[in-house]
Parts: sequence; structure tokens; C-alpha cells
Amino acid sequence: MQQLFPSPNAGAFGRRQTRERGARIPVTVLTGFLGSGKTTLLKRFLEMPEGYGTAVVVNEFGAVGIDDALLRSSADQTMLLGNGCLCCTTRTDLQNTLRQLVVERERGQIPDFRRVVIETSGLADPSPILQTFATDRALGELFHVETVITCADAVTGPDTLDWSAEARKQAILADLLVITKTDLADDTKSAALSEKLRALNPRAAIERAVAGDLDPALLTGAVAPTQDRSLFVAETAHSDGIGSFVMTWDKPLLWIAFARTMETLIALRGSDLLRAKGFLHIDGALGPVLVQFVQHLAHPPVELDRWPDDQRGSRLVLITRHIAEDTVRNLFAAIAALPRP
Amino acid sequence: MTTDSTCWNFKLLAQHDLQGFGGMGEGMSISLTKDGRRIIWLAHESAPKNFTGVDVTDPRKPQVVVQTDLPEAYMRSNSLEVSGDIMAVAYQTQKKGQKHAGFELFDISNPEKPRSISFTDCSGPNSRGVHQLWFCDGEYVHMAAGSDDFESTHPLDDQFYRCFDVRNPSKPVEAGRWWMPGTRVGDSAPPPKRLASRDMGFRAHNTNVYKERPDRLYLGYIDGGMFILDIADKANPKPISHWNNAPPYGGFMHTVLPLFKRNLLVITDESTVDAAKDWPKLIWVVDARDEQNLLPIATCPLPPVDAYASRGGRFGAHNIHENPSSPTAWQSDEIIFGTFFNGGLRAYDLTNPFQPKEVAAFVPPPPKGTPVGAVQLNDVFVDERKIVYTVDRHTGGLYILETDF
Repeated sequence: MQQLFPSPNAGAFGRRQTRERGARIPVTVLTGFLGSGKTTLLKRFLEMPEGYGTAVVVNEFGAVGIDDALLRSSADQTMLLGNGCLCCTTRTDLQNTLRQLVVERERGQIPDFRRVVIETSGLADPSPILQTFATDRALGELFHVETVITCADAVTGPDTLDWSAEARKQAILADLLVITKTDLADDTKSAALSEKLRALNPRAAIERAVAGDLDPALLTGAVAPTQDRSLFVAETAHSDGIGSFVMTWDKPLLWIAFARTMETLIALRGSDLLRAKGFLHIDGALGPVLVQFVQHLAHPPVELDRWPDDQRGSRLVLITRHIAEDTVRNLFAAIAALPRP
Repeated sequence: MTTDSTCWNFKLLAQHDLQGFGGMGEGMSISLTKDGRRIIWLAHESAPKNFTGVDVTDPRKPQVVVQTDLPEAYMRSNSLEVSGDIMAVAYQTQKKGQKHAGFELFDISNPEKPRSISFTDCSGPNSRGVHQLWFCDGEYVHMAAGSDDFESTHPLDDQFYRCFDVRNPSKPVEAGRWWMPGTRVGDSAPPPKRLASRDMGFRAHNTNVYKERPDRLYLGYIDGGMFILDIADKANPKPISHWNNAPPYGGFMHTVLPLFKRNLLVITDESTVDAAKDWPKLIWVVDARDEQNLLPIATCPLPPVDAYASRGGRFGAHNIHENPSSPTAWQSDEIIFGTFFNGGLRAYDLTNPFQPKEVAAFVPPPPKGTPVGAVQLNDVFVDERKIVYTVDRHTGGLYILETDF
């Protein structure tokens, strides 16, 4: 219907945005295994000026919301999801809570907030949380997941990663990995954890935090981590069959070919496409087009109004399970070779 | 805990109480001086002040450069517009028959010392003078005005559309006028039926004309709805179309903003009664692909009335940034900025005009000394740098913001 009134400043993906989240509320997903220092990290963040105006959604597994009690003193707004793990039965709770936050803010019933941090239960697989923002159209228009942070403590982290599939998943899906409690572990243990995390997730930067002390801008996704992720681009595979790889293209992509490829991949192997994020040079677009996929779901693409620098080119990071990099490359090549409609 | 302030996707750069005279009307316009300064000109809502010029070259450090007084206490300026170095200021009196009703042109090339070029008298036994004016092309001032020779069929219908040729600014000459048929004594048409809900008058409000269509007038007519007029022949304006949402809505249609590149109109009502007793007052999105068949397709979503009605003062739509044809005004066919009194300042994305989306909101805390207990944001102007200026109707003066979306 809106094509009845074409907008001269909008592209194929709607109004061009100055940033990926547009006008949506930024969300930080803070995950990490039990006792890994998530709450300490969050509490420090809330005490800093950058943490002002943060609504905290805490997901507790179990009857007593200990973390909530710890946080309430400093957070402007803390919502407690008391019924267990976010990734299982309580996704509706999360959806309702986030909607409630917006409604209550609009009604002046809670203080104005500018950011939401979702602290997950240590047992949570973060991917269903990410999926929620793609499946719930209303939520997806209101909120944008800006960064996924996973804490791992230097003392027990290495062992936990060995025995817990959830912990591995948390590490694999992170944008930023934070090693905590390095003051309590010897250097060998910290280095071992770092190595394991690097093997699981070569794309994410690894930061260290003692007593929750971390550059607050990292928690908001406002700055890129200090390490250059591109240095660590490599195919990895784990015992879970999960691997990640990066595809790059120098020439502009045809949107129809890119979209068709991803549709095909999703149709055939959607449940094994854990996460994909792309920064694409699309033929005809003025700025880069940002895409995100979580399993069967695609977020609406966002076109930025300008390129950040002179560099052009496309980059797609995929985290998959039992899908080989070659398979995806061949699929892209096959569809790109089809005659244009 | 409750709160009555919001700042979402705006960044407040500065607030200025305008030297204790922070009750502002609906005239906001920007001039550039020869020495490179940027002055925003603001009309006061009521006496004793006429207009204030504020240097906003650095939007974080606004400085008043001039503040002028009205000649009488029973009048107000309310509206002004700048074109080049000339500023037109409206003067409306409290009662009909009072003097100083009309409009004045000033040379503002030296902003510290605005110099009167001419005063055009619109007073008369049936006139309160000029409520609003529009002046973008340096040649014509369009206005909602009374006249000494205009006797309305109803006392509330005293202001109509008038156009003055000001190409010789020291001697403005009336170029044309139009009124809704039936509102002037002697008209062949019967007087319009009054609104049962609240009779606010069948009279002109905003009189917008744009360089994209110099032959079109976009006219808000309060309880009479809105009109598009063909003004190719200024002496003989011809109505092209008319749309009114009242009844069943509550009247007081205020502004008609055409989005030329998209064949849309954005039309505002004005809330004029405290405690949202005239709710809903809305911003309407209208399909104008056929300018003779205007069809409303959406309204911009308002925050919940029960959350705002009792905060103090008015709640509902009023002014929007009107894309004036001026090099110092921001132009957009997608983003609408509107003021909603205690509902603050809100920005909407109209990329999909069937589903306007709120993308930013600014509701400051009650300004110091406000008599109504809440902010009453009255008007908004966005400059070509996308710096947003909004004013409070009572005491808050000028707020300057950056967008963050």
C-alpha cells in the first residue's frame, strides 16, 4: 500500500537510517553461565553515568529472584521474570514484560528509560531470545538487539564449557566475550579459557573484567571491542557440529539473488542456521544494508543513509550447525549464476 | 513511581527562559545575518512582549539579542515569519474595535535593532486584526485576518484569508481575500451550522503557500475544516476542495501541510481546552493524489489520554514543522514534528503513511513558574541543520534539541 505514496528519500528497504537500530530501543542481552559474574558486571554498569536510564529485565531460574534484589537498588527499572528459563516456556513472559515496559513508560508509570538489558538465566540458550525479536513483529519494531555479551569466569569457565552445551552456545552466539574473576584464577587458567572461547567464537572480541570493571561503552555496543574481529575469521567446528564462517564479496550484490539464497538456505536448513549477520553492499542502495537471520527468521533489512568510510564490499557472518561453508558458498554461486528475471 | 518527563531519541542541547518572558506563541522563523550569525525569531503568546530574537549560531548557547514590547497590553503578536531581512509580525487584539490590529514589517538586517518598515492597519469595528501570517517568498504575506469592511454573520467568524502584496514593503497593498461562504453578512450562502460540541468559529487559521505550488493556498479554517484554494489569480481565489472532520470530531482545524513529493497532506487540529476535554485532537494524514477528493488514511498515534489529561493544561495536537520554503528550514516528506501541549514534542515517521510511527518524543518537566503545572509545548521549527526548536506556551521559553534517530 505504501508504494501508492513513494517516498523520495526511502530506498527499497524503507527510510534510510542513520544507524541500524533506527529509532528502536537498544537491547543488550547479557548472558553467561551460573556464577559467571553477569550481575556484578551489570551492577557496575548501572552505577556509571552510561548506565543511567537502563531498564533491566532479569530472568531467574528458580523461585527466589536473588539477582533482582541485588539490582533493584541501582537500576531505574527492574523487571523480574520469575518462572524459569527465558529460552523455554517464558518467552511469552519476556514479550509481555518488554511491551509492558513501553506502555508504562508512555503512561509515565515508570521513569523514562533509554536502554534495556536482558540478563538471562545462566541456563538459557540465548538464540530463542534473539528469535523473539524477529518473530514478534510489534517487539521487533520497538526493540533492537544491539549486542549479545557472554560472561565466562576464569575459575570454572573452562570446565563449564566442556560439560555444558548451553555454555558453549552462549559463547558461540556472543558479540563480546567477557572473562571475569581473573583475579581469582591463575594466568594459566585465564589463558586456557581464552583459548577455548577463541576456538568457539573467533569473531567476538574477548575482554577481561575484574569486579565488573568494563568499559561501559562495550555493554551498549557503542564502541567496537578493541580487537579486530576480522583477524580471527576462520572456519571453526566444535563437537556440537556448530561452526562459523564469514563470506565476503567485493562487488555489489543483487538483492534478489541474495534474498533468494537466504530463503533457500532457511527453507532447507533453517533450524541449523543459528545466526547470521550481514553488512552488505547491495546494487542500487545508497548505504550499506544490514541483515540479520536467526534460524528460520529474517529481521527486516535496514539500509543506512551513508557508508561509514570509503570501504565498500559485503560481509556475511554465519553461525551454523552441520552446514559446511562450501555448501553455503556453492548455494550463493548457483543462485547468482541464474539468469536475472 | 510516576514521572512526567520523557526524552526519547532527542537530545536537549539548551533551554532559555527568554529573560522571564517564556510564554511563546506560534511564530518561529530563522534569519541569517551578514556577519554569519543565525537568529531565531519568536512571537510571544501574549503581552507585554512582542517578539524575541535569539542567537542560535551555537545551539548549545542561545543568547537573546533583542526582546521588544507591544504598544498595548490588550493585544498579542502570536505569529511571525521571516523572508530574507524582512520580518512580518501579526497583531491581534483582545476585542474587536481596538487599535493596533494588523501586521507590521520590520527590517531585521541588524537583529539587535529591528526597524519598523510599515504597519498595515486591519482594525475595525468587527476586527481583532491578524492571528496568523505566512511570509516565505518576500513578495506576499498571507494571513488569517479581520478587516474594517468585514462584518461576519456570527461573532466568532471574524477572521478570513487575506493576502497582501509587500513587494514594496513600506506600502503593502491587499492583493486578495477569501472567506467561507455564509460567514459574511450579505453572502448568498446560508451561515454554516455551528458545531454542537464546542463552537470555536468558522474562521481562517493557517494560510500556507509554497514555492512548489505558488498557485495553491492550504488553508485551515477551524470549525470549517480545511480548504485548498487556487490562488493563481490572487484577486480571485477559487476553492478546489474542502475536507472537514467535524462533526463527529471536535473541530478547530489548524494547519494543512502538503507533502508535495508524495501527494499527501498532513493536517492538524488544535486542542484548546484544558484537561483534554476536547480530546481527541489529532494529526491527520490525508491522501491528496486527487486534490479534489481528499481522503484521510491515518492519524499519528497519540500517547494515552488518561495518562496526560490530568497533568495540567491542554493535551492534544497543535502546530507542526511546516516545511516553509526557506533556506533556513529543514524539509522532509517523511518525518513530521508536532507539538501536543503537555504531550510534548513528538516526531513521526510517515514512510508508510497508512501507519505513522512515533520515532521520538520530548516531554520536559513542568517549567519553572508555569501556572498549569505541566509543560505546554506550543510550536516547533526545525532548521536546515536539523536542529529542533520548540517553545512553551506559558513560561518555559525556548528548548533546543538534536534528533537522535
